[in-house]
Amino acid sequence: MEPIRVVVFGAHPDDCEYMAGGTAALWSSRGHKVRFVSCTNGDVGHHTQSGGALARRRRSEAEKAARILGVQTLILDNHDGELLPTLENRRAVVRLIREWKADVVIGHRPNDYHPDHRYAGVLVQDAAYMVTVPFFCPDLPPLPRNPVFLYAEDPFLRPVPFRADLVVAIDAVVERKLDALDAMESQFLEGGCGTDPGSLPKDPAGWEARRRKVREEFRAHFAGRADRFRRELVKTYGAGRGRAVRYAEAFEICEYGRRPDEAELRRLFPFLPRPRRRGA
Amino acid sequence: MDSRRFPLRFVAAAAALAAFPLLGLLGTACARSGASSAAGPDPSGRPAPADAPQDGKLRIIAFGAHPDDCELREGGVAAKWAALGHKVKFVSCTNGDIGHWGMAGGPLAARRAAEVHRCAQILGIETEVLDIHDGELMVTMENRRTICRLIRQWKADIVISHRPNDYHPDHRYVGVLVMDAAYMVTVPFFCPDTPHLAKNPVFLFSEDGFQRPNPFTGDIVVAIDDVIEKKFACVEALESQFLEGGCNGGPHLWPADEAGRQARRQKVREQFEKRFLSTANRFRARLEQLYGPERGRAVRYAEAFEICEYGRRPDEAELRRLFPFFPER
Repeated sequence: MEPIRVVVFGAHPDDCEYMAGGTAALWSSRGHKVRFVSCTNGDVGHHTQSGGALARRRRSEAEKAARILGVQTLILDNHDGELLPTLENRRAVVRLIREWKADVVIGHRPNDYHPDHRYAGVLVQDAAYMVTVPFFCPDLPPLPRNPVFLYAEDPFLRPVPFRADLVVAIDAVVERKLDALDAMESQFLEGGCGTDPGSLPKDPAGWEARRRKVREEFRAHFAGRADRFRRELVKTYGAGRGRAVRYAEAFEICEYGRRPDEAELRRLFPFLPRPRRRGA
Repeated sequence: MDSRRFPLRFVAAAAALAAFPLLGLLGTACARSGASSAAGPDPSGRPAPADAPQDGKLRIIAFGAHPDDCELREGGVAAKWAALGHKVKFVSCTNGDIGHWGMAGGPLAARRAAEVHRCAQILGIETEVLDIHDGELMVTMENRRTICRLIRQWKADIVISHRPNDYHPDHRYVGVLVMDAAYMVTVPFFCPDTPHLAKNPVFLFSEDGFQRPNPFTGDIVVAIDDVIEKKFACVEALESQFLEGGCNGGPHLWPADEAGRQARRQKVREQFEKRFLSTANRFRARLEQLYGPERGRAVRYAEAFEICEYGRRPDEAELRRLFPFFPER
């Protein structure tokens, strides 16, 4: 069987890992091909560091996370906080989807708290369908089929709330997801751009304690995702297994990509259980 | 994400949904301290945030597309804040230079700037007009930086703008530009020439009637009965727009004789009276919640605001602190 090919677009080096790190690890463990793309280089994402040095640090964090999750990673050299839905960026996203021969594309919704998240969402939406048009970016062969485009979960309600079309149990790989986030020290250990340095630990023991605390907060957060989407988990996994799932990631199917039927969804997400026949 | 601080996602989540259990922990562990810059540069290399004014006064900045938009949508609440000594600034994101049936360009821009300065005197606020052509506002990085700097320089607690769905493209793009400044105003190395804000302001949308993709929600509705004459005085001061009819008006609207002008003033007043009444009626239920049933029912004129999900999400207590107009519970 041909491997399934997935490309995930996040706004910053850490978004893909956070949004889809568990599902990515489930795919890669089965030999499928996943690539993470950060649409910006993250170069204002710290309270004391910025510019090229921070961009390089964050790239190496993303590379470490990619090794943990078994995926490829790529950081586009756009400044953090300055992503706009330009034609140049649309072309870059289209070319990346085509080069990866993606079956599945995952991104942000165009409503989210950070402008880079919103515009990354718009750019990926704008690439849907266009990836199939032969004379758009004619330097690369078009995809024979529009991929399935998915939005990763967010909590925003306007203009419409996120809808969980697919909820994936990530219990089997949750430690790897937590390891990957742990590798993104500039963001989660040091607190990224918003932390007051005075609140950070002063000694190695303090840092170790903070590292454990961050990990447990993330663990509780991903457990919260399973609770938020418990009904969908029970529908997908059956009552017994669905209720027992501890950690989850959720995705919404974008209307602008291919609209997969149930059978195709099970093929693209081979770690979901087969639908049980009525009465079975 | 990341020009963001790590817990923000969780904080935003908490505000948006009830079902986030771990919030307390994250919130206390990682909340910004709001350290003052008064002590000079931080030896760690962290840029200092803007000094928080210690005068106990609220700081509000409102962005409209044209020189008249803020006055119509938040002129009343601005006058109420100003009367209590709080600091309000209106910013028109374009100079309004095609907003008339018979004049255009620099002279119209100058005339409209004078009109909003007159309104600012009436309301007791500051006002600024950006020199961008009317009908040509776009979502550029230059404009995002401009808005971000204005919010930071004003040290805003509250930012008000249009929603990104509205009939005029300039209105929509003001909405987008202001949304795009939310959160970014807190990022130290975005526009590092202007000290960042330690706290994301509360971002509000002013009322509109549009339904798609979603209708406006009246989260905050303020009675403006006690300042309504100031608002009517602003309408009259915006002569090029309301007495002469702006870009869709004509010479017939504003006759030369004083009797004819008086009749026109009266007619315009009645039109706006209906508009300000309709806001109170549209959000009557919310007025009764905020003011109590009796007072809420009696309100004639109101202004309404929706809380944007991308700014700080105030709880009930903070809302009452930011809008010190509602009776004690």
